[in-house]
Amino acid sequence: MLTLASVSYRYAGATRPSLRDVTLELADGEVLGVVGASEAGKSTLCLVASGLAPRTIGGTLVGRVLLDGEDTAGRPMHAVATEVAIGFQNPGTQLSGVATTVYEEVAFGPMNLGVPRPEVLRRTETALDALAIGELASRDPDRLSGGQQQLVAIAGLLALAPRHLVLDEPTAQLDPAGTRLVSVAIGRLAAAGTSILLAEQKTDLLAAVCGRVVALADGGIVMEGAAGTLLADPRLAELGVAPPSAVRLEHAARSVSAAAAASVARSIGAVGE
Amino acid sequence: MGGIWGPLALALVAIVLPAAAARVLRRLGRTSLLLSLPIAISLLVNLFFFPGGHQVLLRLGPVTATAEGLAFALEILVRIMAIAGAITLFYLTTRPHDFVVDLERRGISPRAAFVANASVQTVPAMVERAGQITAAQRARGLDTEGSVWRRARGILPLVGPVILGSIAEVEERTMALEARGFTRPGRRTLLWSPPDSGRERLARWALVVALLVVVVARLAGWTA
Amino acid sequence: MTDFLALEDVVHVYRETGVRALDGVTLRIGAGELVAIIGQNGSGKSTLVRHLDGLLRPTSGRVLLDGRDIGSMSVARLARVVGLVFQDPDRQIFAGSVRAEVEYGPRNLGMRGDRLRDAVAGALDAVGLEGEAKSNPYDLGASRRKLLALASILAMQTPALVLDEPTTGQDARGVERIRRVVQAAHAVGRTVIGISHDMRFVAETFERVVVMRTGRIIADGTPDEVYAAAGWETLASTFLEPPLAARVGAHLGLGATPTEERLLGALRNAAQ
Repeated sequence: MLTLASVSYRYAGATRPSLRDVTLELADGEVLGVVGASEAGKSTLCLVASGLAPRTIGGTLVGRVLLDGEDTAGRPMHAVATEVAIGFQNPGTQLSGVATTVYEEVAFGPMNLGVPRPEVLRRTETALDALAIGELASRDPDRLSGGQQQLVAIAGLLALAPRHLVLDEPTAQLDPAGTRLVSVAIGRLAAAGTSILLAEQKTDLLAAVCGRVVALADGGIVMEGAAGTLLADPRLAELGVAPPSAVRLEHAARSVSAAAAASVARSIGAVGE
Repeated sequence: MGGIWGPLALALVAIVLPAAAARVLRRLGRTSLLLSLPIAISLLVNLFFFPGGHQVLLRLGPVTATAEGLAFALEILVRIMAIAGAITLFYLTTRPHDFVVDLERRGISPRAAFVANASVQTVPAMVERAGQITAAQRARGLDTEGSVWRRARGILPLVGPVILGSIAEVEERTMALEARGFTRPGRRTLLWSPPDSGRERLARWALVVALLVVVVARLAGWTA
Repeated sequence: MTDFLALEDVVHVYRETGVRALDGVTLRIGAGELVAIIGQNGSGKSTLVRHLDGLLRPTSGRVLLDGRDIGSMSVARLARVVGLVFQDPDRQIFAGSVRAEVEYGPRNLGMRGDRLRDAVAGALDAVGLEGEAKSNPYDLGASRRKLLALASILAMQTPALVLDEPTTGQDARGVERIRRVVQAAHAVGRTVIGISHDMRFVAETFERVVVMRTGRIIADGTPDEVYAAAGWETLASTFLEPPLAARVGAHLGLGATPTEERLLGALRNAAQ
C-alpha cells in the first residue's frame, strides 16, 4: 500500500505550495483515478507519489510518504524507483535515448538496478507480454508512433517490477489511435491486478478502469469516492473537469425528460462506451 | 628520414586488406578523396620548396621541382594516408553503440557510457527540432529569404527555442531516467557484448606486438 | 466569388524520405469559412496546411490565394495572410516575457506603437493570459504555453488562421477557451482552419469537416453529413469514430445529431 499522509509540497523557488495537505491511499491491486483542471496539482501528486519530488527535483515536502506503513523519507531515488514507477505524458522524452531496440529500452530499468542477467531477460519479456508488444521487440524505439512509444515506456516501468505504477496523463499527447492502444493496455494491466495511480483529463478512460477517483483543485483533494459516483457528480464541471461523454449526454437528456434520459442511457449501453 | 615502403606495406596489411574484408574499401577510398586538397597542397609545397633539393626535375619560372622534394612529398603522402585510412577504417567498421557497450564491459562508468551513447542519438532529433523551429518562426514572419542583415536578426528566434526547449526537456528526461534507477551507484547488468573470437583477440595482440617491434626497430635506426 | 484559398491537384513528396504525403489534393476554401481537417496520423493533414503559407511547396499542382498562384510569394509575405499555429509551443518560444513573445509576429509584419500594443493586448485577452504579460513563458505550465503560442499568431491579425491540434493537452476550460477564440475570429470574418483529433470539439466548433486518409481527401461536408451513419465507414477507414452524440442519435433513429445540442433538440422534437 502506498500512502500519502498530510502531504504538502512546494516546488523549489515557488512561493505557494502546489499540494496542500493531501492524504490518500493506493492499495495493492487498486486503480485510483485523479482528476482536476490543469495546474490543480495532478502532476505534482504523481511526482510526490513516485519519490521524484523532492529527491530529483528538489522542493520542500511536508508530511509523509509511506510504503506499507514505512516512511520512505531517507531512501534514495533508485531504491524508491523499484517500488513506485512513474510514467509521463510525453512519449519521446521518457525513452532512455540509448537503446537501439525496444527490447533494450524495456531492459534499461532492470539493467540499471544491477539485477542478474537472466532476471533482466525474464522481466523484460514479462513486461513486453503484459503490454502485448512482443512483436515490436526488435524495432527502433525512435521510429514508433506516439502510442507505441508510450506502451514501450510503460513496459519499461513494469520491468522494474514495482509495487505501484503512477501514470501522469499517459494519453494527453496521443491521437485517437494511440489513446485507444494505451487505454486498452491500461485496462489489461488493471484486470491483471496491477496497482495504478492514473491522472487523466480523459474521464472516459477513468470510468472504464478505475475503482475509485479523487478530484483535485488548487492542490487539495476536494472530492473522492467510487468512480461511477464521482464521475457522475455534477460538481465535476465546476472544477473544470469534463465528465465522461456518457455521463454528459445522460445528464443533458434529463433536461428534456426522464424518458429521454432513459432511452439515451439504453442507447449508450448498446453502442458501447 | 625513412622511406615509403614501410608505411606502404603497413597500410596494405593493416588498412587495405581489412577494409576489403569488411567490404568498406570503396567507402574508404571515397572518404580518402576528401583529403585530396590538403594532400595536393602538401605535395606541391614539398615538391617545389624542399630545402636541400638538388636533382632538378622541372623548372617553372622562379620555382624548381626536385627529386628529393618529390621523395619527401611521397613519404608525407603515404604517412597521411596511413593515419587517415586507419581512423576512417575504424569509423566505418564500428557502430558507436557497440563500441560504447564494449567500453562499459571493460570498466568505464555507466554514466560515461550513457553520455557517449546519448550524444550520438540526440543529433537526428536535434536536427528535426531545428527544422520545426525554423518553420514555426517563418510562419511568424521571420525572413529567411532576405538580405544578410535581416537574416542575422533572426538568430535569436531560431537558436532560442533550441536552447530553451532542450533545457526544458532535460528536466523531463532526468526525471524519467532517475525514475528508472539511473542514479544507482556501481555497475549495471549488461545485456550483451559485441561478439569476439579467439582469432580476433590473437589478431589484436599480434598488431600490438607488431607496433612495438616497429617502434623499437625505428628507434634502433632501421629505415625502410 | 473566387475562393480565398485553394489547392489544385496538389501532390507532395518529401524528398528525404520519398513519402508521398499528398496524393492529388483539391480543396477550395472560401473567405470566412470554418473548416476542420481530420484524419489519422500520417494522412497528410499537417502537410496540407503547410502549403497554405508556403512552408511547403507542391511537388506538382498549384496553391492559389485569391485566384493567384502563390508559387512566387515568399513565406514572410504569406505570413501576413495565413497565420499558422504549430502544435508544439516549445518549438517557437524564445522570448523572456509573454508580451515580447506575442509581439514578435506583429512586429515582423510592421506593426508599431498603439496598433501593436492593442493587437498584443487583444490576443492576450482572448487566450486568458492578460495577467501574465511580464511572466517568463517557461513559468507557465505546458497547457498555457500552448495558449501563448495561439496568442502570438492571433496578434498578427491575419485574415486566415490555421490551428494544428489546438486542444491537445488542454483541460475542459482550455478547450472551451479555444472554441471561443475560434468563434470570435469567425465572427469578425476571419477564415479558420483547424486540424484536430477531438471529434467532439470538431463537431461543436466547425461548419465544414474535411476527412483525409493517406494523402487524399475522402470526405468533405458539414458535421451533419460527415458524422451521419452513412459516413461512419469512411471515418473508420481513417481510424476515427464519430462523437457519442452522433452514435446515440443514429441508434435512436433521430437523424443527424453530431453534437449534444442537436441530440437534445432532436429528443425534444421527438417528445412532441
